[in-house]
Amino acid sequence: MTDWHVGEEPARRYASGTAAETDAWSLEKHIEVCGGCAARVSAAVRGQGAAAAVVDDVRAAVLAAAAGGTEPVRSAAVRGPTRVPASVPPSAPRHHRVPLLSPVLRAAGPALRGPWLVAVLLVAAAAVALAYGARNGTGAEAGLPARPLLLLIAPVLPLAGVGVSYGRRADPVYELAASTPSGGLRLLLIRTGAVLGVSVPLLTAAGAVLPASAGAPGAVAWLVPAVAMTLAALALGSYTGCRTGASSVTAAWALAVVVPSAGAPALDPDALADGAARYFAGPFAQSGWAAGALLCAALLTVRRRSFDHLEKL
Amino acid sequence: MSTVTVRNARTVRVSGLTVRHRRRTALDAVDLDFAPGVHGLLGPNGAGKTSLIRVLATVAAPSGGRVELLGSEVGAVTDHRSRSAVRRRLGYLPQEFGYYPGFTVREFVSYVAWLKEMPAAQVPEAVERAVARVGLADRIDAKVKTLSGGMVRRVGIAQAIVNDPDLLLLDEPTAGLDPEQRVEFRALLRELGETSTVIVSTHLVEDVAAACTEVTLVEAGRIAYRGTTAELTAIGSNGADDSLGDNSIERGYTAALRAHRTAVAGR
Repeated sequence: MTDWHVGEEPARRYASGTAAETDAWSLEKHIEVCGGCAARVSAAVRGQGAAAAVVDDVRAAVLAAAAGGTEPVRSAAVRGPTRVPASVPPSAPRHHRVPLLSPVLRAAGPALRGPWLVAVLLVAAAAVALAYGARNGTGAEAGLPARPLLLLIAPVLPLAGVGVSYGRRADPVYELAASTPSGGLRLLLIRTGAVLGVSVPLLTAAGAVLPASAGAPGAVAWLVPAVAMTLAALALGSYTGCRTGASSVTAAWALAVVVPSAGAPALDPDALADGAARYFAGPFAQSGWAAGALLCAALLTVRRRSFDHLEKL
Repeated sequence: MSTVTVRNARTVRVSGLTVRHRRRTALDAVDLDFAPGVHGLLGPNGAGKTSLIRVLATVAAPSGGRVELLGSEVGAVTDHRSRSAVRRRLGYLPQEFGYYPGFTVREFVSYVAWLKEMPAAQVPEAVERAVARVGLADRIDAKVKTLSGGMVRRVGIAQAIVNDPDLLLLDEPTAGLDPEQRVEFRALLRELGETSTVIVSTHLVEDVAAACTEVTLVEAGRIAYRGTTAELTAIGSNGADDSLGDNSIERGYTAALRAHRTAVAGR
């Protein structure tokens, strides 16, 4: 035997089906004779559970969207099964799930529709452009309060993604999916996960590069509210359908932002930003959002079976 | 002997099934059962065929009554577990078949196989087989959006049969198929009906005559007639008025429907 062993990283790559073909062959040959490495690879494959699947979903969906094609995903799927050696012990049947991940990845596909993805990118880019463009152009201390404005929009952007990814009006395969064991809440959560998986990093990155304005909440202050409002949309959607749920919560948020500054001259951005800051600032506001998120999650759990059947018209 | 037992086993039992959409009653206390074979569901537009198929496909909850599919109760909200088990053995082609335009035929059918929780190792082969059975093997890597209407319909049939379902529900499957494709499709139906319970909703009487062994006539939310295709044809051949239709089964269909209407009116 050799001194060479399978490290964590190659094991993980193998489990996720992204190892190069030659590396996979070496690994397979090796674990036939090395119990320790076989256990490590098995663990890595098992680690490809629900959470890992969602992350992979997002990655593949984004890659596919960026490449404008599906070649990498599909070729992995085609290659996958032929690589499964006959000697893999029956205790690792989950290995067979690896090629299947590709359709799983595609499950998120409709969630990450072009228009929504473009909208998220535009908002992030516009916020950055606003902040730096205004400052460089005029030489003034600060033009628009870009970060607070981004904070206003960021929590409801995932909602729009959820609204266009699931339900009778949004998903052409909705009725068909509802007749399968994967339909309903599971599919909805996978797609919501994909939406959050794309929008959270993007918007966080945009927020982080923005110049901080004095007294404004931090760049990630929108995160908990976004999760809370997404869960609220899903819980409400169990009664009304997802699109109505998402648009109602968005409308409620818009009202909450606009109404406090109603006295100010028509939609002054500074007033809006100041007014909304109170929804984010401080541990009290944040824990309020967290409590709301928990409440909505609990309601969603109670209502989970309502997703078993088609949304009412 | 065992074949006989399987043939007689009722795979679908429905009793007192009522479906309401808002105030309109789509199905009114319907009692029905089906065994393996090909069953035609005939009736005028709006008679309740799609409502029945949707309940049998487990996508719509009944407003009242019991629904037992493949030996499990699936109608109530609390039947989640048995519903999931039944759904793995189900094939369904909705009346309005939607698809993701960017997917190829192979990707789309694989995606549905994944939704149906088929074992991953079986999927690639099952997909190729299902696509070949509907005659699209040469277009398997074409994007669905580049296909003609009839081909898209066949993709719909392929996704429905990819898991070799024990219960196959097809809502207007022949819409958009040309005559030759319909002949091939009927042959496929007969083949599937040897082992599965196939329920085909259609308004095309000749599809039923050619492919179905039994006929259920639905009218205004009730069952107007049940019998074998031969029996319905016989009604149409025994001195029925020529104005009822151009051939025996059409005449039988119209005669049975009118007899039912008369009976309902006389109640």
